[in-house]
Amino acid sequence: MMQPALLLEGVSKRYSGHLAVDDLSLTVPPGTIYGILGPNGAGKSSTLRMVMNIIVRDGGRIALLGADPAREREVLRRVGYLPEERGLYKKMKVLDVIVFFAALKGLDERQARRAGQQWIERMGLGEWTNAKVETLSKGMQQKVQFITTVLHDPELLILDEPTSGLDPVNQEVLRDTILDARRRGKTVIFSTHNMEQAEQLCESVCIIAGGRKVLDGSLREVRRSNRGAHYAVEFDEQAAAAEAFFRANGRFHQVTRQGDGWLVELAPGADARELLARLVELEVPLTRFEHVQPSLHEIFVAHVGGATTPHRRPEPAHV
Amino acid sequence: MSEIWIVVKREFLERVRTKSFLFGTLFFPLFFIGIYSIPFLVGQESRERRLALVDEAPPGVADRFVEVLTTVPPGADADERDTYRIERVEGRLADLRASLTQRVQSEEIDGYVAFPADVVESNSVVFAARNVGNIGVLERIDDAATSAVRTERLRRAGLEGAQLAALTRGVQLQTTRITATGETGGNAFAPLIYAYVVALLTYFLVFFYGVSVMRSVLEEKSNRIAEVIVSSMRASHLLTGKIIGVGGVALLQVGIWALFIIAAITQLDVLAERFDIPPDLFTSVHLNPGVGLALVGFFVLGYLAYAAIFAAMGAAVNTEQEAQSLQMFVVLPLILPMLMTMQISNEPLGRIATVLGLFPLTSSIAMPMRMGVAEVPPLQIVAALLLLVLTLVGVAWLAGKIYRVGILSTGQKPTLKELGRWLRAA
Repeated sequence: MMQPALLLEGVSKRYSGHLAVDDLSLTVPPGTIYGILGPNGAGKSSTLRMVMNIIVRDGGRIALLGADPAREREVLRRVGYLPEERGLYKKMKVLDVIVFFAALKGLDERQARRAGQQWIERMGLGEWTNAKVETLSKGMQQKVQFITTVLHDPELLILDEPTSGLDPVNQEVLRDTILDARRRGKTVIFSTHNMEQAEQLCESVCIIAGGRKVLDGSLREVRRSNRGAHYAVEFDEQAAAAEAFFRANGRFHQVTRQGDGWLVELAPGADARELLARLVELEVPLTRFEHVQPSLHEIFVAHVGGATTPHRRPEPAHV
Repeated sequence: MSEIWIVVKREFLERVRTKSFLFGTLFFPLFFIGIYSIPFLVGQESRERRLALVDEAPPGVADRFVEVLTTVPPGADADERDTYRIERVEGRLADLRASLTQRVQSEEIDGYVAFPADVVESNSVVFAARNVGNIGVLERIDDAATSAVRTERLRRAGLEGAQLAALTRGVQLQTTRITATGETGGNAFAPLIYAYVVALLTYFLVFFYGVSVMRSVLEEKSNRIAEVIVSSMRASHLLTGKIIGVGGVALLQVGIWALFIIAAITQLDVLAERFDIPPDLFTSVHLNPGVGLALVGFFVLGYLAYAAIFAAMGAAVNTEQEAQSLQMFVVLPLILPMLMTMQISNEPLGRIATVLGLFPLTSSIAMPMRMGVAEVPPLQIVAALLLLVLTLVGVAWLAGKIYRVGILSTGQKPTLKELGRWLRAA
């Protein structure tokens, strides 16, 4: 197997009083889009900050592109990091601020200026090149921040809640750049609590809650192992017979109307073939009988459910 | 090294490019010149003071007083050019006091002088006025009254007329400073002016640019820029680059001012003639290339030490308001030598001056002051510089630790206990 883009083994982080990240292990295959999912306060940002060596881990092993970021800092230059809370120098001009951050990543200034200009055009900020950052709208500032993350063409992009605060149009722009990076063989890791978005983009995910890993793996595996016993059932016409059938058969754990048909969740031990046979026997023609894939959202809710902390804890000092 | 340089460049260019830098560089010397020339210009206009004179003294005493007071001495300073209009009032002070007080209150006169009948024996003269705080006026009245009473005493002892005038003529003091190389001429006030200027300038620069470093740290912290930067470079490099970059701006500004001053010195003859400055004004200030070099050393080291403290402060707090309450403690040792300017320039080799000159937090202001007005033993200068370097290393080490943790933390302002924890953690 190729060297993983990121490997975490038993990583943990304790802030005064509570455990933010608890014995977390995960593997990000290279060249994929990887989602770290979890409710607010689950430990997503703390994990990414430890990976970027912004905060020091209390235990465990981190291999970022094969190197320990705490010991071999140079590896961080090959990574593009978009923090959850964005920060730019407000008084600087857009292109200047982009060139400054690129220079810190080791780009030479002329090269950075040229590439920066291209990215500015690509993000539709052309007329703002020499405007001060503080004159830009919040969404535009986010785009500038994103450019500073990708300008040095890193092998690995780490994006902490990249779409929060973006309007749908700009979310689309961001999505395209992520997919483009993936096409060019880069690895993208991003955190989000938006399951729909993760479902559209990710090949692999890791769901964490309360600082602990709930599940991880490729999206396909995760879906398969969480398929459960949901069946979508539809008939040719609205049939009173079908209605009566479901009402009479309490064995079916749960039945809900869904569109023109029903969603049936089999009780444990019940056989789907038996259900199908009984439905066929009904006088009405059956038009659909399908084993339904659960959405990531449903899997998430099923696993995390009560672990969701609705309010963020006040952020402690990063000691 | 290169990442430090990138930060230095940004901090330097972003500041130098601003209008406020240009404005400050040009405005500050003008402000300085303005402050020092206002009294000069205003002083040129002499004022007339109206005084009432109650004369109960033996004949001749009050006449002599009026004569001395109304004659402007040749070569007098600006504040000695005031003229006095004396109005004699007949009667005794005891009877006149109420009406005189009322006239002073209604601003008809500025005040009154009363010579009692026994002035020669009691040796006391009354002066009452709305304002008795003007030292120039007090001196003039004191001189005139003393001269009048003394003349009367000499007259009683048998001396008369021209003989008397010749005997009581005052002297003019010629000041000369003796240094290791011999005698130099010069103005007695020049060292004091020099000490003030050096102290004020160093204080201003260290404070202004120290606060500038602090604001910059605070900006990176509150805008969460620090997080992005720290994921690309070492926090200590960021801190170093920032302090050097801002220091570069300060040096550039000082350099520009130095050019102004050099230009002014080469034109000193012209200036002296034009503005009535004694041409030997600066010869009594002790400056040579070695001293100049040490001055730059004290300024640079002092700035670095304070900038590191200010940076740590910026990292420890969350808002400028919080920072301001802490600033006071930091600025205190800077102000101390300023308050002691008189003592230091009067006794540059005395105990207070020596201690302030060696103590690392005050030496960058006190030592340049001393060095300008006297020849400080080279050993002391070297010792002070060495102490400053050691302090700088210690302060930078501490500040770096507080900075590393502080720039990434938000929320409550840390307590001293928490700061201790930061020091251990970083």
